Amino acid sequence: MTDNKGVRVLTIDDSRTMQGMLRKVLEGAGYDVIQGGDGVEGLEVLQAANPPPKAVITDINMPRMDGFEVIEAVRKLDQYKHLPVIVLTTESDPEKKARAREAGATGGLSNRSVLKVCWRQSAGLRPEGKGAGMSGDMDDILLVFFQECDEQLQELERGLSALSDGDSDHETINAVFRAVHSIKGGAASFGLENLVRFAHVFESSLDGLRSGRIVPTHDIMKTFLKAMDVLSDLVSEARGGAGVDHVRVAESQSELEAIINSDGAPKPAEDVVPQDFVPVPMDFVPVPMDFEPIPVDMDFGFDAPEAAPDLVVSFRPHDAMYERGDDARNLLIGLRDLAVAVEGGAMTATCDTSGLPAFNALSPTRSCLSWRVVLPAAVSEESVHGVFDWVSDVCDFSITHEGAVEETPAEPEPAAIVAPEPVAPVAQAPVPVVAPAAPVHDVAPAAVTNAIAGNQQAPARKAEQVASIRVDLHRIDDLMDLVGELVIAQAAIEALSRRNDGSIQQELTQSINSMQSLTRDIQDAVMAVRAQPVRSVFQRMQRVVREACSMTKKDVVLLLEGEDTEVDRTLVEKLTDPLTHMLRNAVDHGIEKVEDRLAAGKPAEGHILLSAGHRSGRILITIKDDGGGINRQRVLETAVKRGIVAPDAVLSDDEINNLIFAPGFSTAATVSDLSGRGVGMDVVKQAILSLGGRVTIQSVPGEGTTFSLSLPLTLAVLDGMLIEAGESTMVIPISSVVETMMIDHRDVYLLPDGGNIISIRGTCMPLIPLAAELGLSKAPTQEALANAVILVVENESGGRAALVVDEIRDQTQVVIKSIEKNYRQISGVSAATILGDGSVSLILDVPALIGTAIRKIDNRPSNVRTGLAA
Amino acid sequence: MIVFAIGDQEYCIPILSVREIRGFEKTTALPFAPHYVCGAINLRGIILTVIDLAIYLNIQPQADNPRRVAIIVESKNGVVCGLLVDRVIDMADIDMNDVQAVSEESSSLSGLVMVNDRMIGVLQLETVVGELVGDMVTE
Repeated sequence: MTDNKGVRVLTIDDSRTMQGMLRKVLEGAGYDVIQGGDGVEGLEVLQAANPPPKAVITDINMPRMDGFEVIEAVRKLDQYKHLPVIVLTTESDPEKKARAREAGATGGLSNRSVLKVCWRQSAGLRPEGKGAGMSGDMDDILLVFFQECDEQLQELERGLSALSDGDSDHETINAVFRAVHSIKGGAASFGLENLVRFAHVFESSLDGLRSGRIVPTHDIMKTFLKAMDVLSDLVSEARGGAGVDHVRVAESQSELEAIINSDGAPKPAEDVVPQDFVPVPMDFVPVPMDFEPIPVDMDFGFDAPEAAPDLVVSFRPHDAMYERGDDARNLLIGLRDLAVAVEGGAMTATCDTSGLPAFNALSPTRSCLSWRVVLPAAVSEESVHGVFDWVSDVCDFSITHEGAVEETPAEPEPAAIVAPEPVAPVAQAPVPVVAPAAPVHDVAPAAVTNAIAGNQQAPARKAEQVASIRVDLHRIDDLMDLVGELVIAQAAIEALSRRNDGSIQQELTQSINSMQSLTRDIQDAVMAVRAQPVRSVFQRMQRVVREACSMTKKDVVLLLEGEDTEVDRTLVEKLTDPLTHMLRNAVDHGIEKVEDRLAAGKPAEGHILLSAGHRSGRILITIKDDGGGINRQRVLETAVKRGIVAPDAVLSDDEINNLIFAPGFSTAATVSDLSGRGVGMDVVKQAILSLGGRVTIQSVPGEGTTFSLSLPLTLAVLDGMLIEAGESTMVIPISSVVETMMIDHRDVYLLPDGGNIISIRGTCMPLIPLAAELGLSKAPTQEALANAVILVVENESGGRAALVVDEIRDQTQVVIKSIEKNYRQISGVSAATILGDGSVSLILDVPALIGTAIRKIDNRPSNVRTGLAA
Repeated sequence: MIVFAIGDQEYCIPILSVREIRGFEKTTALPFAPHYVCGAINLRGIILTVIDLAIYLNIQPQADNPRRVAIIVESKNGVVCGLLVDRVIDMADIDMNDVQAVSEESSSLSGLVMVNDRMIGVLQLETVVGELVGDMVTE
């Protein structure tokens, strides 16, 4: 076994699944692996590497810079002129091979052979095991594969929607193609046959698009979008999720096939289909490099050959072959593998040293040796050609058949074949060449920058888009907690400084000020790490709408706006379900039937606009349809029928609209598959409320309905006002405070039930004695009220109330802590926080307080109100 | 089992449910809380409520006892809360077979057991905590 310890290898591949496997295989064989995520990054890594890698393995099909360009760029570097570069390919495409060789590749390696080694290392598990049955090391690579699938599906979705919008940019089409291709490649690695089969057909049809044979018409794009949905279903099935609707898969597949066949051109793809994913032995492993671990690991030390050796291969490498970084040893290993593949086979090799000059005349760069190799009869001539495929231009070789039994020359022990003694001086040849190049090192980076610059210009735009990092969520959460503690610690110092009236006072205050701004910066930075564009959720909604359309036989287009709006990650995840439900609802109930639309003079195609944006420290998400609007008459009738409101209740339009959020309400006369189970909007509202959000509805009959969701930017920190009430300190979110003032007793009016109303500049609102309202003290007397401090607070929909407090203490940032986790929900209190002195303080739920106060004044029957509960 | 006293009566709870024991500190009153809840405290960033077991069990507490402590317990479903007791006495090995049941499973006091001629009540922690978290609506 060769000693690979510490030999550095660079792998460049945009597929993390493949990267994972390469790392596993290579590290398993003792190599030191460095990796680059695509061509550009790979070159950066290569130039920065110290010690420099001894070989490069690169993928071909990559974004930004493909494998060919990588090889060319590497060859332009003085330092790496002779660095062995191996290309990694899925398909055995002779054209690609030729191009790679032209670019200066040293050899090729098929994905499948990497995979084989990988599986062999993993306790001999076979790839047929399918998703679920796997265990051990492969699990984490499988996990990476699924993560990657998610990303590729998103990329696919983005690309396809861009195409649907008329963007036929070549890079977009390529991105789409690459996405499907990567999924296929990865799936093939894990033997997920259903997925591979479908992805292959999909890929073939996209290939037509790429080559321009297929024009992306509306219908064709629809087929592609559907195929994408099926593909994502297949992925989740492979992951162990719900089973796939096989009818749909077959249907989509035949649609895709129809597209392939319609383009007229004879497609070679079909006959590739079966081979491409059946786990055939490697069809394209011509030159395993010396770091390929299998050949060395396999036990080939059988007895000497008994069968008549038929095939005699003679070869003589040129100087150029060594300059390229290749080695005769690789050829020998390749040939030996062929021999060993035949059962009981072995090979014998003789080295012809006659060309060797006297020792003192020996030049490290001259090739002097030639070999004669005898292989068993069963080895096919083509496979031998395959071994020499990569070196045919720099190596003379011939194949002859010999009927006669050769007397075995030299020692038949395998050791002789691997033992590098005679080869050694030549094999090391590239190394001395590299060494003198080292002083030029300083010049090299500049040279490469120039070399890359040419390639980078065109796809640079793409590069900016995808710069992102992957961070484990719990780590960020930990960081978030720490920052929270920091905020608390800072508050503690602040509290101390107030008590101290010594000479250090001013300095202390100063340092606290700087710490304060620092703390806030850290907090913002951490928040930014957690922020995520809502795009991922919004794009999923496209699918929701498509499916809803096909079930309701309606034609609806979902328009997206502000997908780049960033929201806290936890919010993004929790938005999916409510949005899904609301959009289904919009398609099912909001948009009218086609006939009705035409009758109303609207276009047959419905439109739903889903938009996101920041508004005064909150996220505003709106869902706007151009349907018939809420049928208030019917809503009211249904509500009465379900006993949600009293038959004689008089409700405002707004209140009727809000009835659809009442528990157990559903307007659809027929319960459809989609919505109408009567759990819908109620659940939506609860979900939004639990996120600290609010939902409002605006509906104009005949013109459509708009749902607005207002959500907090983050669930972790809040700007609040510290107040005193009933001997406790409480926090009121600053966003809900409109103004603070002293009461003028002339503005207060007593209501018959003992409540109070205050008129502030002509606007009347309920006066809430906070401590009493929360049950912490008795109701204050009229005299006490007369000169109290009040805070005017406002809820989302503009309802106001005045809170009577004992004192306003401070304005501060507080870290939100859950009470419910260890206790229960408290009405009027949304959460708690910890103050500088370590004590617990309650954060008030202003909208709930306003709601209660308004309800008290409301003299309508209580059963009317329960449906309206905020 | 950890044994503690409230007034003249001794009770015990499984030792494994105890997270720590700390001195009683000022609590923050909670609105609409059951009368046996003292309020909320901060335990290194976690907010939890403290139950005054004397009020909960309807026992006369020792007046002005400086040794009052809060036993911080964690129930099986992860709810953390504090139990305010007069003093912690010791630990005892109690064979659950020796416990004489006094009421059905779901009651907060599940049984009595004799240890060294002392009668000790076995407190059903899950029930106490369940009551604290359970009845949600207090409109």
